Amino acid sequence: MKTPFLRFTAVLAALFAVLSPALAADKLMIGLLPKSKGNGYFIACKVGSDKAAKELGVDLLFDGPTDSNAAKQNEIVENWITLGVDVIAVAAENKEGISTALRKAQRQGIKIVTFDADAMPDARSFFVNQATPEGIGYKLMDEAARLLNEEGEFAVITATVTAGNQREWMKHIEERLKKYPKMKMVAVRPSDDLKDKAQSEATALMSANPNLKLIMSICSPAVPGAAEAVKQAGKAGKVKVIGLGLPSENRRYVHDGVTDSVILWKTEDLGYLTIYAAAALAKGELKPGAKTLKAGTLGTFQITGDNIVLGTPFVFNKANIDQFNF
Amino acid sequence: MNRYLRELSVAGALGLLLLAMAIFAPGFYQPQPLLSLATREAPTLVVACGMALVILCRQIDISVGSQFSVCGVAAGLMAAAKVPLFLVVPAAIGIGALLGAINGVLIAGLQLPSIVVTLAMMVTLRQGLNLQQQGVFVNLPDGVQWFGLSQLQGQWLVVAIAVLLTVLLGLALRRLTAGRWVYAIGSDAEAARLAGIRPQLGTFLVFVVMGALTGFAAALNLVQAPQVQPLSGSGLELKVIAAVVVGGVAISGGRGNLWGVFVGLLLLAAIAPALIHLRIEAYWEKAIQGTIILLAVVTDSIRGRAPKHPARSH
Repeated sequence: MKTPFLRFTAVLAALFAVLSPALAADKLMIGLLPKSKGNGYFIACKVGSDKAAKELGVDLLFDGPTDSNAAKQNEIVENWITLGVDVIAVAAENKEGISTALRKAQRQGIKIVTFDADAMPDARSFFVNQATPEGIGYKLMDEAARLLNEEGEFAVITATVTAGNQREWMKHIEERLKKYPKMKMVAVRPSDDLKDKAQSEATALMSANPNLKLIMSICSPAVPGAAEAVKQAGKAGKVKVIGLGLPSENRRYVHDGVTDSVILWKTEDLGYLTIYAAAALAKGELKPGAKTLKAGTLGTFQITGDNIVLGTPFVFNKANIDQFNF
Repeated sequence: MNRYLRELSVAGALGLLLLAMAIFAPGFYQPQPLLSLATREAPTLVVACGMALVILCRQIDISVGSQFSVCGVAAGLMAAAKVPLFLVVPAAIGIGALLGAINGVLIAGLQLPSIVVTLAMMVTLRQGLNLQQQGVFVNLPDGVQWFGLSQLQGQWLVVAIAVLLTVLLGLALRRLTAGRWVYAIGSDAEAARLAGIRPQLGTFLVFVVMGALTGFAAALNLVQAPQVQPLSGSGLELKVIAAVVVGGVAISGGRGNLWGVFVGLLLLAAIAPALIHLRIEAYWEKAIQGTIILLAVVTDSIRGRAPKHPARSH
């Protein structure tokens, strides 16, 4: 008889303990929900979020599935509704799946922002978008031009020549290429998202184009694939390797001087911006139709429609790659 | 001569391609890139040999790509945990054989159609691996790449192992009783049974061998780079089935040999680099490979209507 009662009291006390600081201080409570909480990418996000939360004086809850589990994300949203958080910031594992739970939260007066991966537009107020296709395409092309002093032949390795996002990036790369008249794109080759195939493609590209100076990979597995090909050909430094990818998959080649730069957004900043957006939304400072958002030390960000754009992608290279472990 | 018409015509096509490259793009012939490309295809050759056995037996295994990934990641995790390579390689073979045995029990034991069983296996293994690995690369310690040898030695070793294995399997298929079992089961399982062969046992063993070869191929892939991508091996099933069919192994079983498979794989593998050298757009690559496969199947069906050469049925 006694035990359930004791347990109930304990739970109640614990709940009160959790809730009271928030109630007492009237502090904002923001729930940050990643796709997977053990993933280095989201852990890096959290570092930035913690920093922003400290600056803003808000309470930050960080929870997520241990694997990328859409159902578990819904469960956490339900829990946070019960707990009465002010804002939920979520990287949606399943666009449709999470939206039902998010709409329910909205009906309870909880504000929603998404980051990294969007939910349905009606299930959130703003999406903190890490990078636009234009931002990615231009950055890749600019970085290639910088490494080659704006002169020479380069080749591109894609996932498939027909994939939507890849075509979109290619379009912007080609657009930017016009700025560099002495650079020439000699080939675009598919890798099917396979590192090993990218390696074969890069090997053949180098042998067919003796003047090739750089290989640009626009899908992440192709960056280490191209790097391995360059290494095996003994052309490290002579044929430069850049691409869109994760620091952890390229660290070794960057240290060996095979890969020059890996481009991705700075996840820490993504987490930081997300919390600033969430807090501004809860305080009523960020309203639909807003054109800009000020986010602490990172400055002012543009808003396109309901997308808050993080902006220029970040370049990982030998100097900084060890600071990032995703 | 007529008996090897198919194999010779594939070899002829390969010869024509190589001749065209010599004339139009002599840059194709550079030792280092060719050796690197050959090394990359070595694991594929090993899997193709296994697939040839399976198809000769009148079965199919579309789970080899997923098996390859599972074996590769498992071997990679072991190597990352500093397990020595002389244990990692047999372990990869063992895991492959085990997966093959599961296929074998379901197909030979329960008489389920191999396309359905291996389709289920393909999806299950791939999704299981995705759940476990989340697409994260396995980084390997130093000394795994090229078995700790120099790059040149390692590449030659990998290629030599794959070719030697093909030759040995090819000889075994012709000379050993077990090899003749494979042809007999694939030609006519009932007749084979009446002749004292056990088709179920034979089919089961062929799937075990298929798995073991896939595991070994994954190990040969592991030693080629300092990291393993969990997605590696995806699409491998189509590549090897294409090589086997182009190489003249009849999809209806019982006819074909490994020499043809070897040449078929070379032909298909040469197309992508050849197109790069000839500066033909990537869009054409799959179309050309598809056409070659279609040609192979069509010539098979035409030949299939002609009376069989008695020597071919072994």
